[in-house]
Amino acid sequence: MLRTTQLNAFYGLFQALFGVDLNVAPGETVALVGSNGAGKTTLLCSLAGAISTTRLAIHLNGQPVGNSNEIEQIARGIALVPEGRRLFASLTVHENLLLSERNGRSGPWTIARILEELPVLKRLLERPSTTLSGGQQQLVAIARSLVANPDYLLCDEVSLGLSPLAVDDVYSLLAKVRRAGTAIILVEQNVGRALTESDRYYCLRKGQIVLHGISAQADRQAIAAAYFGV
Amino acid sequence: MLTFLEITLNGLMLGALYALFGLGLSLSLGVMRMINIAHGDLIVLGAYLAAFVMDQTGLDALTSIVFVMPLMFAIGWLLQSVLLNRTIGKDPMAPLLVTFGLSIVLQNVLQEIFSANVRSLEAGELSLLSFSFGGLSIGVLPLATAAITIGAYALTAALIAKSHWGRQVRAVADDPDAARLVGVNDHRLFSAMTGLILALISLAAILYGIRTPFSPTAGPERLLFAFESVVLGGLGSLWGTLAGGLILGLAQVLGQQVNTGLGAFFGHLVFLAFLIVRPQGLFGSAARQ
Amino acid sequence: MNSVHQTAHRRSTPRIARVAAIVLVLAGLAAAPWFSSFATQRLLVEVFCVASIALAWNLMAGYGGIVVVGHHMFVGVGAYALFAVSNGLQLNPWLSLPLAFAVSVAFAAVSALPLLRLSGPYLAVATWVLAELLRIGALNTPWLGAGGGLPLETIRGFDRATRNAGTYWAALAVLAFAFFTAIAMLRGRLGLALMSVRDSQSAAAASGVNVFRTKFLLWVVAGAIVGVAGSVSYMGTLQVTPDASFGLNWTAVALFITILGGIGSLEGVLIGTLLYFTLRELFADYGTWYFIGLGSLAMLVMIVAPSGIWGILNRSGQMDAFGIRRRGETLS
Repeated sequence: MLRTTQLNAFYGLFQALFGVDLNVAPGETVALVGSNGAGKTTLLCSLAGAISTTRLAIHLNGQPVGNSNEIEQIARGIALVPEGRRLFASLTVHENLLLSERNGRSGPWTIARILEELPVLKRLLERPSTTLSGGQQQLVAIARSLVANPDYLLCDEVSLGLSPLAVDDVYSLLAKVRRAGTAIILVEQNVGRALTESDRYYCLRKGQIVLHGISAQADRQAIAAAYFGV
Repeated sequence: MLTFLEITLNGLMLGALYALFGLGLSLSLGVMRMINIAHGDLIVLGAYLAAFVMDQTGLDALTSIVFVMPLMFAIGWLLQSVLLNRTIGKDPMAPLLVTFGLSIVLQNVLQEIFSANVRSLEAGELSLLSFSFGGLSIGVLPLATAAITIGAYALTAALIAKSHWGRQVRAVADDPDAARLVGVNDHRLFSAMTGLILALISLAAILYGIRTPFSPTAGPERLLFAFESVVLGGLGSLWGTLAGGLILGLAQVLGQQVNTGLGAFFGHLVFLAFLIVRPQGLFGSAARQ
Repeated sequence: MNSVHQTAHRRSTPRIARVAAIVLVLAGLAAAPWFSSFATQRLLVEVFCVASIALAWNLMAGYGGIVVVGHHMFVGVGAYALFAVSNGLQLNPWLSLPLAFAVSVAFAAVSALPLLRLSGPYLAVATWVLAELLRIGALNTPWLGAGGGLPLETIRGFDRATRNAGTYWAALAVLAFAFFTAIAMLRGRLGLALMSVRDSQSAAAASGVNVFRTKFLLWVVAGAIVGVAGSVSYMGTLQVTPDASFGLNWTAVALFITILGGIGSLEGVLIGTLLYFTLRELFADYGTWYFIGLGSLAMLVMIVAPSGIWGILNRSGQMDAFGIRRRGETLS
């Protein structure tokens, strides 16, 4: 279980999250929705260790992990696919994957397994990673985090800027990830998509959770109200 | 005509030494985006360490590398871990200011320990050997310097292109935040990198110490030559620094022909001229800045 | 409407007090030649010039985000300009100062063009290369006196008291000029542009700030201040040499003062200068250990307290002795 307790997060002097309580059970898919600047990325970065928080603000399987860095979180099985993909331009696709595989945990997600699930990558392996199309890059970015074999995969806006077909490819990969038993936290602008792809959802506004529930039973109007604060 | 050829060769071989000075600086600027103002003083430190090892063990200058290189690697690792890693991240100019202070401390510590007198590393017969090649007289040591330089560049380039460590280095140079997200420990990487840089410096230091008499305050000028090699070659290009060093060596030797005291001056002039005409250097990717 | 009038009224009272305080201090300092020895005056000339040079470095680094290691190039240019103009035109040194100042300004403007194409550490060290070029150039130029340098011939006609007082007042004028120029610049549009460029160059450019022009003006102002400080400093020593006037030591001291006092604050320059000279009076006799101490102290402060002494004193970000803080701005 990954859990936050009254999580506060800051960028310098600016407070971005106010007392956020959230939990994700093993194997669950949880969606985070909210307008720009609501704090979704900040929340993911805090969980991944990119933003430091107080020790007791985040617990993983009962252990306090709040003041960890990214490398420690990877070792614990929490991996973040950052917004904007951020593949390494000086590295080929293969090198991007090799890098993460070597630094991550061992497990079922090897590069061979990735190539089985995504055959399209086979002929792209030796290409510089940023010469791929947006959709292909997104698949590589997710794959890059997968080969670290996380228990909790954090996805920040993975459908941003992609064509509908590419978005479908991305979500079918995530479906495979889900079937393998990995928990996913999904930040997604498209509320409808977010709800269909998740078990539960949280809605953020101005750094606070204003609504949460089970995705299948979600009231779209209530979400819209919470999203915009009317 | 022969003399002109000899001058050119001398310039190229001096340039090889400068390229070796610049190799470490190119790495630190390209990967860690920082400049170590004490870079030249560390070269001088290496030369003094070699002198110390030679005095203590009776080894000759080139063999002393066996002790000097690991020692310098350790010093580099410690320097980065204890001091410089604390400056990276927040203010981009903090590493420059801290290493400026380090430069002053290092020069004065060397002066305390070794006195301000000029000395050089004895290479015995090796520094006198030369062979004739079609009427030209080529020194063995300068030739060896050139060979060692090319070897060092080739090894470093291979390390960066082929090894896991090299991949991490390139990733961190591209995007340090994203690199951390895939488990790259950038602080430990930087410690290893500074260790490598000082190991490379130790090579340069011994070759330099054999060739030129040095003193505790000789550091800053070495830094300037290293820096000029990097910029002339083009920011972000490793092999470019080799080319830059060669150009600098040539400029200096040519300048010396005009007036023996003006070698470095001509180098500076060529550097500034390049800056005006072609600021990205020979092989530079302008984006890197 | 009422509240606007009240706000204006509330700000003007402290402002008058501030101005009065500064005028009093300056008047007191100006009276020094009648109350102090030649030695004290010479020391104060050095203090004023060093403070001005440090202020200029701090302006560039702290407010403009431009760090230069070759700061001392302006010192040498200003010093040689004064001597060349004064000796060459047989004009008394004080009348030559404005002309030397013009040379410093011109040099700063010309040097900005190739150098401002660079940024960060590249710019920092490139300025050092230029300083070295000038030093070696002067060393090898016969009509600048080569290695031995130039004496200030035209000062010989003045008696010691006049010479010392005149140099002292020139130094005081340089310090006042440095501070007032800095304050005026920072309170005006250029100051706003500077801080936006320092915080984010791309955002500033997108907001319509002419980034190059902003940096260029800052460079010229800083170079002019350092140049005239160099001119007056060497007016006091009566002899200019390449190694001294183009020496890295000028930059090292400016750096030290700025780091200790606090980067990006004018108050820090005063604190840092005071501290530097105190340490020098106390410990300079220890030779190499003195320098090891200074260097180590600078490194320690950079790591442990990067905002310097003023940063520690002013943790709340509320203090603003020179009235340049803008609403909404916090000390980083």
